Amino acid sequence: MQIILPDRSVRTLSRASAPIEDILLELGINPTTVIVVKNGRIVPEDVTAEEGDELRILRFSHGG
Amino acid sequence: MTSAENRCSLCGEPAVVRLVEPERRLCAAHFIEDAEARVLAAVKRERMILPGDRVAVGLSGGKDSTALLLLLHRFLAAFGADLVAVTVDEGIAGYREETIRAARDLTGELGVEHRIVTFTDLFGDDLDGLLVGREAQGCTVCGVLRRRALAEGVKKVGATKLATGHNLDDEAQSVLMNVLRGDLPRLLQDTSTGQPGHFVPRIKPLAVLSEKEIVTYLLLRGYFRDLPECPYAGTALRSEVRSMLAGLEHRHPGTMLRLIRFRDGVRRSARPAEPAKALSTCRICGELTGGEVCQVCRLLEWKRG
Repeated sequence: MQIILPDRSVRTLSRASAPIEDILLELGINPTTVIVVKNGRIVPEDVTAEEGDELRILRFSHGG
Repeated sequence: MTSAENRCSLCGEPAVVRLVEPERRLCAAHFIEDAEARVLAAVKRERMILPGDRVAVGLSGGKDSTALLLLLHRFLAAFGADLVAVTVDEGIAGYREETIRAARDLTGELGVEHRIVTFTDLFGDDLDGLLVGREAQGCTVCGVLRRRALAEGVKKVGATKLATGHNLDDEAQSVLMNVLRGDLPRLLQDTSTGQPGHFVPRIKPLAVLSEKEIVTYLLLRGYFRDLPECPYAGTALRSEVRSMLAGLEHRHPGTMLRLIRFRDGVRRSARPAEPAKALSTCRICGELTGGEVCQVCRLLEWKRG
């Protein structure tokens, strides 16, 4: 699966499937501080990502 | 949970969020409805807006105030109240230009009256100029001046209430910061009643929504703009508290909401016993202050040397 990180860099993970929350924690990202878009659709982090999925991780900046 | 199992608790469409208290999954349409209903319920419960009110939204153009204006614009007419937006231009090069453009675009699209007040007009210089030699105190200095500038903007537009975009995260962080500083007076301070002749009541309709919910709401309604972060953002303590609370909220969902309930409980039980602090008027500008000269005038005197 392909992961687009908040800084727009791209990581490829070779895992077959995993809960998105676990993937975020592995990457050192707290799930409460980001929104995850899986294949173009916002999803809760307990949803599983499969091989071939694209995950885009949006970190919202402070202030506003 | 597989994508096939991730369904809205209300209609069975794919869910975009999972919420607690009560536990539920919601699709895009039902999440928007749910978030708006929670804000509306808080406004009604706390009687934030009354018929005849002229509500000024402090519109920075960032995510929280954008969501606030969108939400209030949806249901303010039903209260028999009027809406106006006030933007403070602090003058922060490379940051403010884009957010002010966003504020102008939004008020133009919604047809909401918009007033911009600038630090230069009010204080004789922009924030960048006022901060020369004390850049590390950026947030503190800006906070003091921005509160005054907003109050001036509110007076100019004749508003009876000031609505700010403080969200659940902001409020929970402030509670914890006040506890860590041992600052009981500030923990008890309630600005929702105002001070006749000086400040109109401040309301915080978004305090029932987390920062993540607000961004989700904006994304789903097509209003999220990835704007630059303020170069002066974040005091050391707030940054630490933000990280700490984010970790706690993840491991113990509902932590932020419980902190707000704790604050409200402390306010209810402590207020009758706490003597009101005497306020006088600043000998320079005439605004309310706890001492002889208000914080704004002290800051401006420092600048003049």
